[in-house]
Amino acid sequence: MNICSLVVHAKPENAAVVQASLERFPGVEIHGGQSEGKLIVSVESDGDEESAANTMAAFRDVEGVINTVLIYHYGEHDKPTEELPSETIQKRIYQE
Amino acid sequence: MKLSRREFIKSNAVAAAATAAGVTLPAIQTALAAEDDGIRWDKIACRFCGTGCSILLGVKDGKAVASQGDPDSPVNKGLSCIKGYFLPKIMYGKDRLTQPLLRKKNGKYDKNGDFEPVSWDEAFKIMAEKWVAARKKGPKGIGMFGSGQWTIWEGYAAAKLIKAGFRSNSLEPNARHCMASAVGALMRGFGIDEPMGVYDDLEHADVFVLWGANMAEMHPILWSRLTDTRLTKPGCEVHVLSTYEHRSFELSDNSMIFEPQSDLAIANYIANYIIQNKAYNKDFVEKHVNFTKTPTDIGYGLRASDPREKAAKNRNKGKLSPISFEEYAKSVSEYTLEKASKMSGVPKKNLERLAKVYADPNKKVASYWTMGMNQHTRGVWMNGLVYNIHLLMGKISEPGNSPFSLTGQPSACGTAREVGTFTHRLPADYVTKKDAHCKFAEKIWKLPAGTIPRAKDPKMGKTLIHAVAMHRALTDGKMNCFWVMCNNNMQAAANMNVESLPGWRRPENFIAVSDPYPTVSAMAADLVLPTSMWCEKEGAYGNAERRTQFWRQQTRGPGESKSDLWQVMEFAKYVKTDDVWDADLLAAAPEYKGKTLYDVLYANGQVDKFPKQKVTDSDGNVYDNEEMDHFGYYVQKGLFEEYRRFQFEGPKKGHEMAPFDEYHKVRGLRWPVVDGKETLWRYREGYDPHVAKGAGVQFYGKPNGKANIITAPYEPPAESPDKEFDLWLCTGRVLEHWHSGTMTRRVEELYRAMPDALVYMNKKDAKKRKLRSGQMAKLQTRRGELVARVETRGRNRCPEGLVFIPWFDASRLVNKLTLDQTDPLSKETDYKKCAVKISKA
Repeated sequence: MNICSLVVHAKPENAAVVQASLERFPGVEIHGGQSEGKLIVSVESDGDEESAANTMAAFRDVEGVINTVLIYHYGEHDKPTEELPSETIQKRIYQE
Repeated sequence: MKLSRREFIKSNAVAAAATAAGVTLPAIQTALAAEDDGIRWDKIACRFCGTGCSILLGVKDGKAVASQGDPDSPVNKGLSCIKGYFLPKIMYGKDRLTQPLLRKKNGKYDKNGDFEPVSWDEAFKIMAEKWVAARKKGPKGIGMFGSGQWTIWEGYAAAKLIKAGFRSNSLEPNARHCMASAVGALMRGFGIDEPMGVYDDLEHADVFVLWGANMAEMHPILWSRLTDTRLTKPGCEVHVLSTYEHRSFELSDNSMIFEPQSDLAIANYIANYIIQNKAYNKDFVEKHVNFTKTPTDIGYGLRASDPREKAAKNRNKGKLSPISFEEYAKSVSEYTLEKASKMSGVPKKNLERLAKVYADPNKKVASYWTMGMNQHTRGVWMNGLVYNIHLLMGKISEPGNSPFSLTGQPSACGTAREVGTFTHRLPADYVTKKDAHCKFAEKIWKLPAGTIPRAKDPKMGKTLIHAVAMHRALTDGKMNCFWVMCNNNMQAAANMNVESLPGWRRPENFIAVSDPYPTVSAMAADLVLPTSMWCEKEGAYGNAERRTQFWRQQTRGPGESKSDLWQVMEFAKYVKTDDVWDADLLAAAPEYKGKTLYDVLYANGQVDKFPKQKVTDSDGNVYDNEEMDHFGYYVQKGLFEEYRRFQFEGPKKGHEMAPFDEYHKVRGLRWPVVDGKETLWRYREGYDPHVAKGAGVQFYGKPNGKANIITAPYEPPAESPDKEFDLWLCTGRVLEHWHSGTMTRRVEELYRAMPDALVYMNKKDAKKRKLRSGQMAKLQTRRGELVARVETRGRNRCPEGLVFIPWFDASRLVNKLTLDQTDPLSKETDYKKCAVKISKA
């Protein structure tokens, strides 16, 4: 279970259009803030953390979005995150 | 009404967002009888940029599981950016280092051996042996490279170890690569480091000017405050200057793409405009400003053998000489609108619009800049040219009128600059070039006179060595031991293949790297020391607006990892004064003979003064403090209280901080803290208690209370595109990653959001090279090459003639391409300008 909330800035006159665009993403709900130009948004996803992150990343490319700030995140992660194995870095250094 | 657990969390999340945005929601279900979810929440300063957001970190069963922007923080007011949001994950990459690793063959240290796990005792024994031997060559035989991400006490403990213990000035922070030009200009202009203004200017200003800062990506929280002001304040405008178009342009009212280096001409044009139109504040200028000039033709900080250095008439010179207002006016008079427009490529109407807002006495202007202006071979000059504009207009040191250098790192100010972990500095703006300052430090540290090497030491000679020179000294075999802590300098150093890696791998050199992860630097070292990071220790950072913030230890580091503080202090136990002090000095302090550096520097009756205690918050939660457990006293408090004496007992005023315990209670305080009150706008009566009554404005860092306007002309960059290397190469950060990606690339979401460094280029430039967006291109400079995917439509849109590639990607070491050029005054590297050619890979 992943739940997060964000504030999405848009010019008040564009807020309705931006809201409609955002609501097309799965797990997204808009709770208010249209008249202030600060949409209060929640994003929910189950299991797959990636989809929530992708959704948030995609917000930036929605037309009319000026800025996105994340406010709250809840997610119990059990698998450790991955990175390039250090051996690869080591090999690369010595090859170059 | 009972909410499901999911509903409960969601309504909390939404309520937090609404509160942060100042939006009232009609039907929000706020916290109904707080459910006990077993999470302990506590404040902590964010690990990343210089904004200094306060984060609430949720810890459950000893593990960080959740985070939230701190609603009580005056900095971020409950907001958090994408990196801050994933903070709980930066500790849990699966390749965390848990044991010291030493290169060994047949059971013994061998430079060409493979890494084998060793005990801390074995690690420090071999390290001490190497360090003592290298120090015998002289103070530059050893070197330490620390960080603007060190906590305040880590920097302070390290400064003591190197300057007083090893008696060497070979201590530098990575902040040299990031803030040194800003520091240089503040010292030259005002005599005291760090900005006069505060973040409150983000709400007070009418006009914002970004000079080489992509705030939207690099300082997103400050950007959201700026955005709020722009959208709600009538008449508010945003002007953005950059060498390519980036996300901050989305809010821009006046967008200006300029030819690299021509910012010097633009700033001088604005000053000229103000003078020609007699718009300057005559009264302010007469009372509060000196006019000066700086030597020109000063070189590019390259090796002395470089032809560009040989050609420089006044290499590295920066001594100011006084001039009259008329002489100043004449010096900028050549920068007409026509000339500035021609040099920069910015249309005249845009430049004039910018000049007009500065010249309008009724508009409050805040100027912001970061690496575009600091990482500049004329960075000190350029910072100064912007101060010149603000000083001419008197638009300084008051709400909304604010020239403000935004810091890159979380404690570049609090640690590197304030504690003074630079080769030439001591705590609280004292410097090693002044004998009296060294004596003052020696008195506080209870050391015999002459312990700290003077910049030009009667016995040791010239002792200063800056960051870039350290790598050169390693390459030349002049420096043999190097300890890198809390940064990834192999990935970060310009021209790394020629000037860095050969030095690190030189057979007689011994390189130690303290790191939480196997970074490029760690893998290039001989000894790797596993580090407990961020919330795994009690810490303190100082942000860009002079705000000092503390946090308690939240979790424990994995395995045998230890904090940088523990490492510095514990290592001091392995070296004796007799090993590194000369006979004269030992004779002057016979009581220190045979003692370890630990005994002399930390068990000195001051640092070890505060007994072990329980660390608790106002709710009675109890927190770990592993350093206190190990050393047997409240280490952090002892170090901080000793450091504070530099702020109160010397001749310099204006650096005062509150007592240790106070900071654990508050959301930070902005120094100077006088009579328990923080200071917002410095140098202005009514805001700054150090300004004399009736003075109005007093730049008290300078002997006559006046700031310096420093004239400086345009000079060309060290390496411009030519026929063969025909494009500008600029490097920097992206929103998702912090610096070299050590932490952020281990957060799956951030890694996936931006997995590889892309080379952003203009479509026409790509087409000319038969490249399309998404194809692989080869980037070549005179120093190295790499392959990266082309992006012509992304978030950064480059003009023809320039490409941008971020440097976070360990599999594409961008600093193989860059030139190790620096500002000759600040010694800060210019990563923004060199020549590159690009072809199909």
